Amino acid sequence: METILAAEEAGRGIEGASLPLGGVQAALSVDFARDPLTSSTILAGSHQEPPLKVVRAFALEDGSALAHLHNVSGGLLGGDRLALTVRVGAGASVQLTTTGATRVYRPREEARTVTQLNEISVGENALLEYVPDAIIPFAGARYSQRTTIHLASGAGLFWWEILAPGREARGEIFEYDRVEMRTDLVALGRPIAAERVCLEPRRRNISDLARLGPSRYWVTFYVCRVGLNTQTWLAAEQRLRDVAAGLTRSGEILFGVSALVAHGLVIRCLARRGRGVLGSLHPLWNEAKLFLYDREAVPPRKVN
Amino acid sequence: MQGDLDCAVNPQVAELAELRLLHLADSALPIGALAHSFGLESLVASGVLQVADLPRFLDGYLEEAGLVEAVFCREAHGLADANAGKFATQRWIELNECLSARKPARESCAGSAALGRNFLQAVIALGDFPVLRTALEIRPTMIHHSAAFGLVSGVIGIEENRAVLAFLHQWIASLVSACQRLLPLGQTEATRILWNLKPAMIQTARRSAACSIDDACCFTPLLDCGAMEHPALSTRLFIS
Repeated sequence: METILAAEEAGRGIEGASLPLGGVQAALSVDFARDPLTSSTILAGSHQEPPLKVVRAFALEDGSALAHLHNVSGGLLGGDRLALTVRVGAGASVQLTTTGATRVYRPREEARTVTQLNEISVGENALLEYVPDAIIPFAGARYSQRTTIHLASGAGLFWWEILAPGREARGEIFEYDRVEMRTDLVALGRPIAAERVCLEPRRRNISDLARLGPSRYWVTFYVCRVGLNTQTWLAAEQRLRDVAAGLTRSGEILFGVSALVAHGLVIRCLARRGRGVLGSLHPLWNEAKLFLYDREAVPPRKVN
Repeated sequence: MQGDLDCAVNPQVAELAELRLLHLADSALPIGALAHSFGLESLVASGVLQVADLPRFLDGYLEEAGLVEAVFCREAHGLADANAGKFATQRWIELNECLSARKPARESCAGSAALGRNFLQAVIALGDFPVLRTALEIRPTMIHHSAAFGLVSGVIGIEENRAVLAFLHQWIASLVSACQRLLPLGQTEATRILWNLKPAMIQTARRSAACSIDDACCFTPLLDCGAMEHPALSTRLFIS
């Protein structure tokens, strides 16, 4: 029997009628490389399809490159099918951020689910810091994201994602239809972290204690450097746990820190309100970067 | 499966498999299950989880984490196919590595792996099971409890759905048992909770039959946080 998804793929409704699916299909691919002459990281190449855009890479003091991921349409619209490919070459160091929150708008009823496909590779002894703003699924939004990150020998990663409950200021809490997020983190060909999350607030109560409990914001922050041993990660876990303990406020924001099976650790953050989330992540990012790279994390300048 | 054929030909084989299933799914099986709370201890210590919350909490936990464990149990059961001739070693490794990656809290991951290895060792000590011996000898892969339970069930001829249901039942029973030691939860109430969760176990097992490993979703961030912060508790009854 044909599934609804298969019918969507074929551009038809489940009854076979043709649907105005709308949305855009666009890809953004960026390649970063280490310039052997200057030891700085440069944007070596890109392929950009509207509405996705990277204007330029800014040189940072430590030789890293900072790039802002733009979606000039202002957000994700029903039926959008977007793909992001990031390749960080050997020895390069890159900071990626968004220009603001990723808004997932309410789609027309007949529109396909918005999909965002992220394919990331971090080369030997390269570093990627992906520090975006939150994803905000509006009421009725349907969003599916799939992210695969490959880490080579010595590769480093700071990667967080923040999922908001909706437009909090409007009192729009968990009114989206469906948010699906799949993340695979692979180091040297071996899976070290995998998440499969499917949130359908109308079908399953997200506020159950088995799920988010009283919190509304969900953050996952991966910190990796391939090749470090287990003892180092246990030490990093303890150090970040100490920092997180100072940031925890009962009933408002809480954290969990744990070493992964290898090559990294994960930080979970649950918060009741969005306002303090980014501000709480920065001290953790900074401590982790000091521990792993002996230098401070520099929050990205925003262009808006 | 050879085990299914044997059962059809000889009812005594089916009865023996049933008794073995009861034995292996018994919480008294000495594999160390009573030493783990998988993060519940932290939630209780922080005052988040109380007796009145348990039925709903465990129901939601079955829907989320239970589905993942059931899917992996089912997949491992399929590796025991005697007609396949050779044990699919690489798939067994992949299965357990994937499940390790799905468990973000270090202690819970290690706990699941300790139970899985202990479970396999306990069964190997009971008879001649070359497939299980091969599965155990693969190192340094973690062997998770749900995967080990599925593989063992397949090897000793227990039908797949029964194996998944039995796994879910003993898995939840262990958590209820942990709650009895953490909370003012009496035996009668604990028994009632476990009794009332059986339809949810059946529902989870059914969902798992239609779900691939890649599609099995799980969203338990509050318990993840609890499990991650368990090492920081000053007084602990449980390893995880």
